[in-house]
Amino acid sequence: MAQATGSVLNWQAERNTVQIREVVNSLTFRYIVKYVTVLSATVFLLQAVFYLFFSYTSFVELGDSVVDELETLQLVYRGQGLAGVDQYIADHIASQSVHRFYYLVTDKSGTKVSGDLPVTPRYREFDDGWLGFEMALQNWGKSIDVDFLARPMDIGDGYRAMVARDYADIVERAELVFRTLVRVMIATLILGIIGGFFSASRALVQVEQLNREISRIVRGGPGQRLQVEGDRGYIRALATIMNQMLEQMETLMQGVRRVSDNIAHDLRTPLSRMRNNLSQLRDRLGQVEGEQLERIIEDCDDLLSSFNALLRISALESGSGLAGGQDVELGALLHDVVELYEPLAHEREIDLLLSAPQPQVCRGEADLLFQMFANILDNAIKYTPSRGQIRVQLRTGAPGAGHSVLIADSGPGIPLGERKNVFRRFYRVEASRGEHPGHGLGLSLVQAIAQYHYGTVELASNNPGLQVWVHLP
Amino acid sequence: MHVLLVEDDKQVGAFILAELGVAGHSCVHALDGEAGRQAALAAMFDVMVIDRMMPRMDGMTLIKHLREGGDHTPVLVLSALGDVDDRVQGLHCGADDYLVKPFAMAELLARLHVLHRRAAAPGADTQTKLAVEDLSMDLLRQHVQRQNTTINLQPREYKLLEYLMRHAGQVVTRTMLLEHVWGYHFDPQTNVIDVHVSRLRQKIDKDFDYTLLATVRGAGYRLGPELAG
Repeated sequence: MAQATGSVLNWQAERNTVQIREVVNSLTFRYIVKYVTVLSATVFLLQAVFYLFFSYTSFVELGDSVVDELETLQLVYRGQGLAGVDQYIADHIASQSVHRFYYLVTDKSGTKVSGDLPVTPRYREFDDGWLGFEMALQNWGKSIDVDFLARPMDIGDGYRAMVARDYADIVERAELVFRTLVRVMIATLILGIIGGFFSASRALVQVEQLNREISRIVRGGPGQRLQVEGDRGYIRALATIMNQMLEQMETLMQGVRRVSDNIAHDLRTPLSRMRNNLSQLRDRLGQVEGEQLERIIEDCDDLLSSFNALLRISALESGSGLAGGQDVELGALLHDVVELYEPLAHEREIDLLLSAPQPQVCRGEADLLFQMFANILDNAIKYTPSRGQIRVQLRTGAPGAGHSVLIADSGPGIPLGERKNVFRRFYRVEASRGEHPGHGLGLSLVQAIAQYHYGTVELASNNPGLQVWVHLP
Repeated sequence: MHVLLVEDDKQVGAFILAELGVAGHSCVHALDGEAGRQAALAAMFDVMVIDRMMPRMDGMTLIKHLREGGDHTPVLVLSALGDVDDRVQGLHCGADDYLVKPFAMAELLARLHVLHRRAAAPGADTQTKLAVEDLSMDLLRQHVQRQNTTINLQPREYKLLEYLMRHAGQVVTRTMLLEHVWGYHFDPQTNVIDVHVSRLRQKIDKDFDYTLLATVRGAGYRLGPELAG
C-alpha cells in the first residue's frame, strides 16, 4: 500500500515536472523571457544614466559650495583683513558639524597663517584648478581616511586661501541610490518573470484545451468539429481554420471510401458470382472434371480473400482510426489466439509459449486485434522450422505507458533491408516466394490494424529469427 | 424451408433462388425493400434474407418495420459493408445473423439452416443433455461419452463439440465455428480450424465402428447424419 502511494506521489511529481517543462518550453514563456531581458537592459541603462547624473550634480553642487565659501573668505578679508578671516575660520571649525569646510590660509612664502588643514597634504591635481587629497579624520574616536575636494584662491595681498570639503556623504548617498536602483532592477526582473510564467501558463491552458479538443476529434472521427466558443482571439481563428481543414479531409476521405466501396461492388460481387456458378457446375460434373474445377474454385477463393484483405486494409487506413471500441483484456485475447494456433504448432513440433503474467486492458476492437495477432502467429508458425520455438509475451510496462506484445520465432528472420518493405501490400520476401503460400497482405493488415488502434508494429532480429513487437496505447 | 429473399441485384437474387431450389427450398424474391415488406405481410416464411442497400427502403429499416409489426421470423442480413461497426449495427437492428458479400452459397445455406432450426425448436437452449446417435453430452456435469466410453476433452474441444451437437445434422462452416466457438470474427490465413476438428475427431471417432463427424466438401463439417429439410 505504502509502495502504491509512493508510486502515485512519484507519478504526481513526474506530472508536475512535465507540466513545468511544458510551461518553460512554451512559446509564450520564451517570448516573456526575451521581453524581460530587453526590459531589464533598458531599466539598467536608464538607471545607470540616472546614477551618473545624480553623482555629477552632487559633485557640481559640492564644487559650487566650495567656490562660494572661497568668495566669502575673500569678502571677509577685504572687509576685515586677516584677523577677520582667522575669526571666521575659527567660528566654522568650532561648529563641530561632521561634514564641514576645512581651511588653509598661507602667506606669500607659503607659511600657514590660519586654518586647520596641514600645509602640504599630497594633492592630486584635477582639471580647472581643483585638487583632491586624502586625510585621516577623527570620527567618534576612530580615525578614518576621508577623500577631500579642495580649491585654492588668492584672497588678496599675496594671501592664498584653500577651502576643502570631504565628499564621503555624497559617496554614501550615491551608494544608497545605487543599491536602491539595483533592488528596483531585481524586483523588475522577478516580477517580469513571475508575470511571464503566469501568462504563459494561461496561454498554455488554452493550447491544452485545443489539444484535448483535437484529441477528441482524432478519436471520434473527422465528422466532428472543434467547439468555437467565446472570443479567444487567435485560438478562435485557429479553430475556425482547423474546422475548415477537417471539412476538406472529410470530403477527401468520403471520396476514398466511395472508391473502395465501388471496388467491393464492381469487382468482388462478379467474382463471387463466378465462384458460386463454378461450384454449381462442379456438382453436375464427374469426378475428374470436378476435381479440376475444385482447384479453380480454390483459386477464386484465394483471389476473393486477397480482395477482402485489401479492402479491409483500405477501409482501416482511410478511416479515422478507432472510435469508441471496447475494453479488451490483452492477456485473455493472446491466450485465445495461442490456443487457436497451438494444435497447428504442435503438428509441426513447434514449442509455442505464452507469457502474460498480468491482465492488461486496452481499448480496441477484439475481432481486429485477434486478426492482427493471428496473422503474426500464423506467419511465425509458417516460417519456423520443425522443433523450433515461438514465444508470445505480453510485456509489463509502466502504468499508463501502453502495452507491448512480443512475438518471437526461431525462423530465418527478415533481413534488415527488407524489414520496411514487408509492410507494403503484396510484398513478399524473395526467398519465401513459392516456398510458402500467401498473398503478401498479412503484415500489411497487421500494420493497418495496429495503426487503427493508434499503435505501431516493429520488427527486430531474434538472433536467429524474427521479433515482432506490437505497441498499443 | 420457405425463404423470403429481398435483394435488388437481379443476378445475385437469381443465383440464390436457383441454389435454394437445388437444395430443395422454396423461395420468394422481392426486388426492393417495399416489395419485401408487402411480401412479408402476405405470407409466413421460415427465414428471410435481406440485402442492406436497396432502393425504396433499405434493409435495416425493413427489419425495424417487421419487428415493430410483431414479425419475429429469423433474418439474415446480406451486405457489402463488412466493417465491425456495420455488423454490430446490423445485429442491433434486430437481424439474427449477418453475412458479408461476396459469400459462398454453402455458407449462406448453412447459416439459414441454423436460423431455421433455432426458430423451430425454441427450447433447445435450455436442454441439459445433448445426444447424437450413440454420442451424448451432459451439459450440467460437462461429461461426454460415446457408447459406454467416457471421452476426455479440453475446454475448447468441449465447446466445439457442444456447438456441433447443438447443430447436429446441419452443415456448420468454419466461419460459424470461429464466431461461436472462439467468439471472434476474423479471417484465418490457414485452416487452423481443421486441425482442431481433426483433434476432436481423433477423440470421438477413432476407436469406434463408424464416424460421426463428416467433412462437407467446400462448406464445412456436419455431425451425425444429414437432416432433411
